Amino acid sequence: MRWAVIRDLLTTEIRRRMSYRADFWLSAFSALAVRLAVVWFIVKAVFAGSGRPGIGGYDAQGMLVYYSAAILVGKLVQTTELEQGISQDIYEGALTRYLLYPVPYGVVKYVQQLGALGPAIVQLVLFGAWLPFVVGIPRGFTAAGIAMGIGAIAVANLLQFLITFPIQLIAFWADNVWSLMVMHRFASALLGGMLAPLSLFPDSAQRVLQALPFRYLFAFPVETLLGRISAAEWCAGMVVALAWCGMMALVGRAVWRSGTYQYTGVGI
Amino acid sequence: MIEADHLSKTFTVHRKDPGLWGSVKSLFRREKVHKHAVREATFRIDEGEIVGLVGANGAGKTTLVKMLAGIIHPTRGDARVLGFRPWERDNRFRRQIALIMGQKAQLWWDLPAADSFLLLKEIYGIPEDRYRTNLDYLARVLEVTKELTIQVRRLSLGERMKMELIAALLHGPRVVYLDEPTIGLDLTAQKAIRDFILAYREQHRPAMILTSHYMEDIERLCRRLLILREGEIVYDGSLAGVVEKYADHKVVTAHLRKMNGAVTRDGLEALGQVDACDDLTIRLRVPRGKVAEAAAELLRRYPVADLAIEEVEIGTIIEKIQRAKGGAP
Repeated sequence: MRWAVIRDLLTTEIRRRMSYRADFWLSAFSALAVRLAVVWFIVKAVFAGSGRPGIGGYDAQGMLVYYSAAILVGKLVQTTELEQGISQDIYEGALTRYLLYPVPYGVVKYVQQLGALGPAIVQLVLFGAWLPFVVGIPRGFTAAGIAMGIGAIAVANLLQFLITFPIQLIAFWADNVWSLMVMHRFASALLGGMLAPLSLFPDSAQRVLQALPFRYLFAFPVETLLGRISAAEWCAGMVVALAWCGMMALVGRAVWRSGTYQYTGVGI
Repeated sequence: MIEADHLSKTFTVHRKDPGLWGSVKSLFRREKVHKHAVREATFRIDEGEIVGLVGANGAGKTTLVKMLAGIIHPTRGDARVLGFRPWERDNRFRRQIALIMGQKAQLWWDLPAADSFLLLKEIYGIPEDRYRTNLDYLARVLEVTKELTIQVRRLSLGERMKMELIAALLHGPRVVYLDEPTIGLDLTAQKAIRDFILAYREQHRPAMILTSHYMEDIERLCRRLLILREGEIVYDGSLAGVVEKYADHKVVTAHLRKMNGAVTRDGLEALGQVDACDDLTIRLRVPRGKVAEAAAELLRRYPVADLAIEEVEIGTIIEKIQRAKGGAP
């Protein structure tokens, strides 16, 4: 696909997202400000209640930083609307429009997902900029860590899309994929380190999680940003994450081919 | 340009018994039903032709168009559009076709149409000068130049349809599928769309397939008709030919001056089937071969002020064909 198409899809999606001011501010408030406040109160309460100085290698401040970073990274990795958009395209027949265009649907949808990040990034800057003043700047926070973290977030974003894509395509066969999406969201939040740092899991479970894709969605980019992962570990992690990307791309391609073969274009 | 060879499509749908028990049962076992949407469709459409695809709801019109546009795969048969198999979705094929669906918006609703057109320009790789020329021409002819910068969701139905037409034709397609392009529009907007389609065909000579329930669309735009009944093409020929083939009679109407005594059906029935008969009007359905004889007889017997000999309305004939089951009406 030509760069000009990608650029225009990206900017069109950003313009579309920015066209609703109320939605922009409400989603910023509900998805970021409220969640960050809830995490702050829970972590404070857990550490005060347990009386322990550290849990899973994190002290209270470290845990607060981890959760805050996980929420911010999550905002860059998960874009709820587009995840649902693919199955909606199939159910409502809107997929037809994309089948007519001389561009690959999967790439269009991914670029649109990236476009949806535009407003999310503005929200992050607005609501995330004051975080260091509240939770403090973490130890081990370096420019190299930030650069590696950005790379890990980019791969996490791609991996999240590639995992979601074939699940959404199940809409070709099933009347509702919502329950599958809930299972995926729960599994990735629990096994990906969004609900709790993976260091809280037993060692054996942690070894298994290193081979699964979920860790590379949240925990890996967060730990990289916070300087808890060495350059060698980062390289190894990126190889595993990219391998999962390749595998899921193949799965997505196979499901797409099979699904479009029996697409009926309902609703048109 | 468009060739269909025994093109068929069968859908598999699931049947569920009504009520709670039916819902519970369907969790374990579902009954499959095969629905033949299109059966053995064979035809050919050349450059510059506008062919009307006519049929009742569920006759298979949209399914046929979807197959020819490459949206769905056929169950059997083959088709070539511009030399490509549509459902293989070769980009060279997709750059040369357009599908306009009156009931489905293709533009981005949250943005002005101009933004969508810019995106389409890149998607189809339209050179800047050609894009400008095409957009100016289409917007001017359809009279929506001022509306290009207004959010699509805020436009009227007619304006939206015109924008859809621009979006579909911006890249200069050689094959255009028009699926109910005037549905829901008022008479003025319908006329504007029809005039535009005719002007566009004159200038660009694409092959067009038009489906519509409005007979005026068909009569104004198409010289050739494909009539579908329960998925089968039951007529493929000229618009005039359908009248000759399926209407074996003409309608003869005589408007009478005031006369002494009443007009009776006796004697008239020998001329043809009497549709109306009163002191001022006689309307007969007369076999084609006896029209001259019947007209002469009416003129001889009654004080005729005006006499009209008309073909049966095309819509009436098509409706009759659509309603008939198992063979010609």
